[in-house]
Order: sequence, then structure tokens, then C-alpha cells
Amino acid sequence: MKAFILSNPKSVKDALQLLAVARDSKQAKAIQPLAGGQDLLTEMKEHLAEPDRLVNLKGIAELDYLRNLDGKVQIGALATLARMEKNNLLNEHARVLFEAAHSIASPQIRSVGTIGGNLNQRPRCLYYRLEEANCLKKGGKECFAYSGMNRYNAILGGGPSYIVHPSDLAPALIALDATVFIAGRTGPREMPLESYYKLPSVGDVRTETVREPDELLLSVSFQLPAPGTRSTYLKFKERESYDFALASVALVLGFDGDVIRHARLVLGGVAPVPWRVRAAEAALVGQKADTQTAEKAAELALAGAVPLSGNAFKIPLTKSLIVRAIRSLA
Amino acid sequence: MAQDEKDPVATWPARENLKVLNHDLVRVDARAKVTGAARYTHDVRVPGMAYARLLLAPLPALKIKKLDLAPALKIPGVLGAVALETDRTRWLGEPIAAVAATTPERAEDGLRAILLEYEREPWAIDEAQATAPNAPKVRSNAPKVSTDGDQASAERACEGAAAVIEATYTVPVQHHVCLETHGVVVDYKGGDEATVWCSTQSTFGFTPDAAKELGLKASRVTGLVEYMGGGFGAKFGLGLEGQAACKLSKEIKRPVHLMMTRRDEFLAAGNRTGGKMRIKLAASQDGTLVGMVADRRRFGGIGNGSMAKFPYIYAVENAYSETLSVPMNLDSNRAMRAPGHPQAGFGMESALDELAYKLGVDPLEMRKRNLKDKVYHRQLERVAREIGWYEHPHRDKPGDPKAEKCIGIGFGVAVWGGGGGGGTECEVRIERDGSVSAAVGTQDLGTGSRTYVAAITAEELGLRLEDVTAHIGSTRLPSATGSGGSTTTGSLAPAVKVAAFNAARAFAARLAPVFGVDAARVQFAGGEVRDTQGAKPALSWKQACAMLPAEGLSARGEWTKDANKRLAASGIHGAQAARVEVDTQTGRVRVLDMIAMQDCGLPLNRLAVVSQVNGGMVQALSYALHEERNVDAALGVMLNSTMEGYKIAGSLEMPRMVTIIDDEDERGVIGVAEATCIPGHSAIANAVFNACGARVRDLPLTPDKVLFALGKVV
Ligand SMILES: Cc1cc2nc3c(=O)[nH]c(=O)nc-3n(C[C@H](O)[C@H](O)[C@H](O)COP(=O)(O)OP(=O)(O)OC[C@H]3O[C@@H](n4cnc5c(N)ncnc54)[C@H](O)[C@@H]3O)c2cc1C
Ligand code: SF4
Repeated sequence: MKAFILSNPKSVKDALQLLAVARDSKQAKAIQPLAGGQDLLTEMKEHLAEPDRLVNLKGIAELDYLRNLDGKVQIGALATLARMEKNNLLNEHARVLFEAAHSIASPQIRSVGTIGGNLNQRPRCLYYRLEEANCLKKGGKECFAYSGMNRYNAILGGGPSYIVHPSDLAPALIALDATVFIAGRTGPREMPLESYYKLPSVGDVRTETVREPDELLLSVSFQLPAPGTRSTYLKFKERESYDFALASVALVLGFDGDVIRHARLVLGGVAPVPWRVRAAEAALVGQKADTQTAEKAAELALAGAVPLSGNAFKIPLTKSLIVRAIRSLA
Repeated sequence: MAQDEKDPVATWPARENLKVLNHDLVRVDARAKVTGAARYTHDVRVPGMAYARLLLAPLPALKIKKLDLAPALKIPGVLGAVALETDRTRWLGEPIAAVAATTPERAEDGLRAILLEYEREPWAIDEAQATAPNAPKVRSNAPKVSTDGDQASAERACEGAAAVIEATYTVPVQHHVCLETHGVVVDYKGGDEATVWCSTQSTFGFTPDAAKELGLKASRVTGLVEYMGGGFGAKFGLGLEGQAACKLSKEIKRPVHLMMTRRDEFLAAGNRTGGKMRIKLAASQDGTLVGMVADRRRFGGIGNGSMAKFPYIYAVENAYSETLSVPMNLDSNRAMRAPGHPQAGFGMESALDELAYKLGVDPLEMRKRNLKDKVYHRQLERVAREIGWYEHPHRDKPGDPKAEKCIGIGFGVAVWGGGGGGGTECEVRIERDGSVSAAVGTQDLGTGSRTYVAAITAEELGLRLEDVTAHIGSTRLPSATGSGGSTTTGSLAPAVKVAAFNAARAFAARLAPVFGVDAARVQFAGGEVRDTQGAKPALSWKQACAMLPAEGLSARGEWTKDANKRLAASGIHGAQAARVEVDTQTGRVRVLDMIAMQDCGLPLNRLAVVSQVNGGMVQALSYALHEERNVDAALGVMLNSTMEGYKIAGSLEMPRMVTIIDDEDERGVIGVAEATCIPGHSAIANAVFNACGARVRDLPLTPDKVLFALGKVV
């Protein structure tokens, strides 16, 4: 790991001041925020990230909260995954997020990993994680997964990089219509979490979000779902003990009796961004959550899938997960 | 002295008289291991010690143009660097240089500073590259095809048979993934003496090599293996890493701590041979195997690879096989728990299973029909009963894959030697204060040898396990052989037993006058010494020991052919059954139950035997479902040299495991470790077929392959 300076600001203001130098594109990689370190420290050990300075957020008390303000859930960037998987409010009203948090990594990692770090974590593509493989994502010329080992890579939205976004919280939060609050030198901005992520074909292929290097994600919030809403996060891992998703389904369904009035369907593990499928959502509204409807939604959701040489299995797999998720909320 | 003329000899008491052995013994070092008090090589710290790291070849075949260590020496904290290979490297991960520094991190910075200029040479790191028409010559001595059996008669037998199957089965390269990586601590500061700690499965094996490397007399080098964190066959000898540490220590005149990183371990510390087996297998209508023709390829990297002979355990009238090693520019295979057997077992068990279903014969009956040794019959029947085979609804055809969840059962069998050999000696000491020790330089690679060294001695002297201290893991102690081939117990137990027996006899001779009887009548039992027939009150062990001179008493014993005949044996079997649930929508295979029945002669410590068998099942399950080395042949890299990318089964993958010990006390002790990891993955793969008709012929059974076999991937 390259030597670095560790700064320990006590306020968001101080942290942003430190990060401001990153506006200068030459400095963009020289400074980085550090939360639980579960991803960043690994990247540094493997020389995938080599910042000169880390801005440690852990001392900023004002970023560590999970609260319910009149039906609006607000989660500070430093809230840990463990905190979310133990939260009663989420358990009762936002199962999708509760289950997503629980599905991540191991208890040890969840006890220090934060929501801010989770939403900003870097890809797990085996080539990305291997220092020697200088692929597109790291400034190289080629996507090695495209012609090489791609069992874990994208079947939707891929190109020129075929990563899958690794976060489990992101699909769940997008299914809850969450917004994200970020701030940097040019001031704060708020946007739907869905627009926070970008495809590799948009802008710089080396980044996964629209966040500028001098910006911090400060919080995420969403409206508690209306009564009659049920939700779930169904994640399929190659190895159950701990693993990233081969495919996952974040599903929020609002019911009127047994008829679906509101639907959000977001896929994880299959695309470079959390993959919201509006066509499938539309097909669900006005229907009952029966097998026929579920299968139709699954077909629509995967309609545009283009598998690589080694990951066609993700299509039937994801379809089954969608059907199961929908049926489980009936 | 009429009938007792012959000297009494050491024999195991009848089972009902065993007080310590053949019971469930908690390992004597369990607490130390659980609390972290146990000091592994990794934990050794000596004053002035430097930490070292290895620079590995970044690509599979290089011509080195320039190797300049000077820039490394400029890094603050770097104490020294040595070149290990300056001309060309022949495999991905081959060590090129080593750096020592005040911290491991600085050593790593030093590595990165080394200037290495090279030209790539053509390489082959997968089968396609290695067998291409223009494939590079990986080794100067190209392997030749070896054949076994008569081809013409085997082909003929297949032609005329009632049923034939022909298929190709492949197994991946598996890694040992020892919890403690390979490495050594060389405590040498110049001069003519050194102490070397090594994470090894052969205390006496690596020490002379270390002495040679240091330029010292072997008698002046002490080798220590107090605790070691797993070897599975990969840890014999000093290794390139040990040589590097010795070189560095000589160079910088300081102790050197060199433990491989996890990545080094994946690239340069051995692995289990991968392979491919094309099998044609034929049977008559009743399921008797009549013909077999096999073409086998071993993928052992730069090594030869290993694969047990065909038709493996089964009897086939006319069998022919061809075997060829396909060298690649990758780390050599090494011995790994039952070398060659899990691979050959998978091919044979799968082919036989396919044939059974094709014939509509119960696969369990098919196995029995072709296994001559009746021990297998009783073991198979027992595991079948325990796992519910006889109540299972579909035994000679697979379940309906239309169901979302399908349950299936499968079987596999094992064979192993496990006998001991000469070269092991033990000394038992009885002190005047009543304490007792048994000393032998052997290593405990997790098999529980430390515990049974104490237990055998305690049994012989009528004491409790905790009354005896076992001293192991040092070249200053009596010699012992390395732990390979499950031979440790067969070699060690007779030596310890004879030493304890001799100590008891010597002690009895001293005490005989106290009781005023012949030594043969002095008995040690229940912490007391008594005359078996006399009226005199017994002495407590302590009272008796107090009569010893200041130097106490000691006696030796060694493994001899004669002792072996009475105390140990070789040759074991083993059968396992697995019950799985296949999710036909996702391709997930969940192993629900694994049942093992395993013979091992007289079990010295039943708890340790059960944990060996459980460990074998876990390793096989992990091989069945997850483990495989992934390389990118075009780039020339290993893609999953991390514990995230190289998946091993975790706690949530664990099935209910039941181990049934097939007691055969009369045979004496036999080593058990290796047989236990042979049948499990085959049983699982066969269970998957039985569940839903998905025949996956390529391990591991990941969801993609199961979905594909179910015809769900278009
Ligand atoms: C073995 C293993 C298994 C894992 N499995 C899963 C899994 O199954 N599912 C899953 O979703 N994740 C998984 N992860 C990833 C882990 O959950 C996330 O890495 C964790 O949530 C990251 O949180 P952190 O606080 O430790 O982030 P850090 O490592 O501190 O930061 C991660 C990244 O986010 C940036 N960052 C952190 N906070 C902010 C902020 N407030 N604003 C802007 N940028 C910020 C950092 O600069 C860094 O680039 C796994 C990780 C490991 C090591
Ligand atoms: S998918 Fe992306 S990260 Fe992976 S090799 Fe291709 S460009 Fe690199």
C-alpha cells in the first residue's frame, strides 16, 4: 500500500474543504473519502487505489444517523449495514432494505461497512481487482472480461465495460424511490438514487456514479411506503456463506386488496448499474401477483438481455428470481 | 520361568480394558489453539527479526533481461534483497527475488521497487494452449503416454456389451488453502548455529535442507514445528520460500520471517492436479462391468500431475487406459490429501452411475456388484440405510426436474493404505515427582498426533491423559517421519506404544522388590501401582515415582516390523452417501446430509477420527460445489488468487454430517486422513443426477452448469 496522509475532520464542512482540491482533475485520484474501509483499504492494498490523502469520515458524528422524520426515513452516510439490518422500522416497513442489508458480506464486514461506502464501492470484476490486468476500467484499452472469463459479468446494459454493480443496498433503495443528498465545492444537490449511477457508455468509463471527486454522499432518504405495501430483496449468491449477487431482485409492491397498484422492480448483479425495469413494473400494475403475471414481468425484465460467452445462465436464473420475488409478496 | 520364558511384548489391550484410547479425547492443545496461545511459525518473533516477501514471476514464461535489486535497497526500512532466478522463469508465480525489511509492508514496497525487465516467451496455461499445434514446449522432457491393460480386448468387451456409456469428465485444479500459509522463520545471525521454525509436515525433512542452504552442519541447526496450520500434502521440504529466507538471513545476518502471502500461496505453493477423463464403460444386463476404455489427461502445471489408476476401486474384466501429462507454465501440482484419488474417483464413480441408470439398475447394487471386497458392501449398505436410500422414492431413475426442489441421493467409495514405516522413535520419561512425558520430534498437522502420543503413554502407565505431556515438533527430539500418505499414525503409534511399554517394564522391575514379587506381577492402573495377586496395599503413582532416583527413568521405543505386525496395519476402505436438494430454477445445489462410514482399525481417539472424516467431507463438498482455479490464458494470469475469488465452502454450506466408525480393533491402528476426502464430491454429483437428472460431468457443480444440464440455458 502506498503511504498516505490520514486526515480526521470533525465536520462535513471540514471534510469538504479537504476534498475541494479534488476538483482539479490532476488531484482527483490523490484524495479520497474513507468510511468503513472495507472496500477502499482492499483497493489500496492491491494498488488499485493509491491516494496521497484519505479523508476519514468516521469522526464526523453528524453523518451517523438513521431516523424517521414524519414518515421520511433519513439515513446518514456513516450508518452501518449492521445498524440497518437490526432496525425495526425497516424490518416492518421497508423489508427490501432490511433484507438487502442483511444479505451483504459477513457480520464482521456489516459491523463496519457503511451505507455511504456501500453505495460508492468499486466493481468486483475479477479483472478489475487484479492489478496486472489493465482493463478499460483502469484506463486500459480493452475489456478483458468481454472475451475472457465473464461468468459474473453483465447481461444487461453492458459495454464497453461489463461490470455488474456490486451494491446490494442500491437496488433496494432505488425500489424505495430513494433520493441521495450529496455536497461538494459547488454546493449541495439532491437527486434520485437511480440517477446517481451511470452506465459505462456514459461519460468516463472509469467511474460508476455521477459524483464528482470533491463531493461527498451525505445521506439517503425515502418516504416510508404507504400501508398495503410489501417488499422483498431476493439475492442469489453462488456461495451462500458470503458472496456478491449472481443476480438479485429488489421488489416493492403496493396492493389494493390483492391487486397491485404500485410496483418497483430493480435488478442487481446483472448490469453495470442497479437495473430498474419500468416495462415490468408497468405490467405488474393492475394485476394480481400470480404466477402468470410474474412470468410476464420476468420476460419483460430480461427482454433486452445480451449474454456474454459465459453468463447466459443469468437469464433463466434472474427470471426465476423475479417470479419468486413476486409470488412471495402475493 | 516355565511358560513365561518369552519376553512379553506390547499389544493393545482388549477394547473393554481401554481407559483412555478409543474414547473421545479433547485435544491436549485445544485450549492453546482456541485462545491463540499456540505459537505457529507465523507467530514467531525473535529479536532483530526482519520480514521478507517474494517477488513472483508476473507471467507464465519469461526471459529475464535485467534484474536490478538496487532500487529496492533504497526504500527506507529495506535491509537486503536476493535474486533467486536471473535467467528465465518457467511458470506463473515462480519466485524471482526476495526482499527483507523491518516490516512486511516495507518489504512489499521493496519488491515493487525492484527493476525487472523481461521478454515474454510463449506460454501454455490452459489445455487449449497446451495442446495447440504450435504449442510451446513447456518442459524439455516431454511426457509420454502411459498405458495400462490391453486395448483390443477392452474395445471388444465394450462392443458386445448390453450397455455402454461414453463421456468426458473433468476436474479443476484445487488448492490446499491451508489456514497458515507456507513459510519459515530463520533465526540465524551469522556464526555456526541456527534455529529454524517451519510450517511443515515434516520436522526432520526440512531441517537438513535449511542447514545446507545456510552452509551449516545439520547437527547445528534446530528445526521447530511447535504448531502448524495445515499442510494437506503441500508442505514437505524447505521449499523455494524457505531457501529464499535462508539466503536473506545469510545476507543480512539477521533472523528472517518469511511467510507467503495468500496470493503467493495460490500461485506458488502447490495444488491438486486438474484433469480430464474420457471414459467408455460397458456392463452386462445385470450391471457387471465388462469393459472400459479410458483416455486421461493430467494437468499438473510444470509437474507431472497425479491420477490414481483405472478402473480405480471397481473390478472391470477388460480395462484399458491411457494417461498423459499435459504440462503447463503453472505451479507444479503437489501431493494433496489422497493425491490422484478424488480425480480418478470422480471419473469412475460418475461413469458407473451413468451406466447404472442407463441399465435401470439401482446404483447402490451396481456398486456392490463390482466391488469384490465385502467391507465395501457392509459400508455402503450402512450409509444407504442411514441416509434413507431404501425409502427413497426414485432409486433407479432420477426425480422429475419439473419440481422446483428435487431431492436426490448418491454414493461413492474410497481406498487408501495408511500403514506406517520405520524411522520413528520415542522416549518416555517418568520423573521422580510423578510427572511423565513422551517425546518424539513428529509434527501435528491437525490430525491430533500430539494428543495420542500422550494418550498412548497414559494408557500404558494407567494414568489419565492430562498426566502425560507430549513433546513434539523439534529435531532435538527423537526422529520421526514426515506426515504423508496417512502414514503418521501407523509409524508413530507403535513407537510410542513400545516406548511406554518399555518404560512400564523398567519401572515394574524397579518396583518388584518393594512388593517382593516378580516384575510381571506389577501392574499400573487407575493411577496406582499394585501387585496383581498380592495382598500388599497399592502404591499411588506419586509414591511409586518418589522411589526413583533423581534422574527419573526413561525408556525408548521405535517402529519395527515386528511391533507393526502386532500394533498396526494398512489398507482401508470407506463409503459415503450424500443427500442433496437441487433448486431447478436457480441451479443451486444444497447438500443436506453426508454420511460416512470409515474403517481405520483401532481408533486411538474417536473424536479425532470423526473430525478427520468430517474434514474430509467438507473438503470434498467444497471441491464439488465451489473450488476451482481460474486463469486467463491469453493474459497469462490467475484471476482468483484471493479468498474472495477462490471460493471455499463456508458455514452455510455445511450439511448435517454423520461419521460412523467401522470399528476393526483387531487390526491395530491405521491412518485415516486421506480416504475421507475421496468419495464425497462424487456422491454429491451423483445425488444431483438422482435428484433431477442433471448430469454435471465437470466439477465444480456451480449453478450455471446445473442450469445448463437441466436444459434451461438457451
Ligand atoms: C469479502 C467482502 C464481501 C462483500 N460482500 C458484499 C455484498 O455481498 N454486497 C455488497 O453490497 N457489498 C459487499 N461488500 C462490499 C462492502 O459491503 C462494502 O464495501 C461496504 O459497505 C463498504 O462500506 P465501507 O464503509 O467500508 O466503505 P469504504 O471502503 O470506506 O469506501 C468504499 C468507497 O466509497 C467511497 N466512500 C465512502 N463513503 C463515502 C461517502 N460518504 N461519499 C462518497 N464516497 C464515499 C470511498 O472513497 C471508497 O471508494 C463486500 C466486501 C468484502 C470485503
Ligand atoms: S468488465 Fe469492466 S472491469 Fe471487467 S475487464 Fe471489462 S472493463 Fe475491466
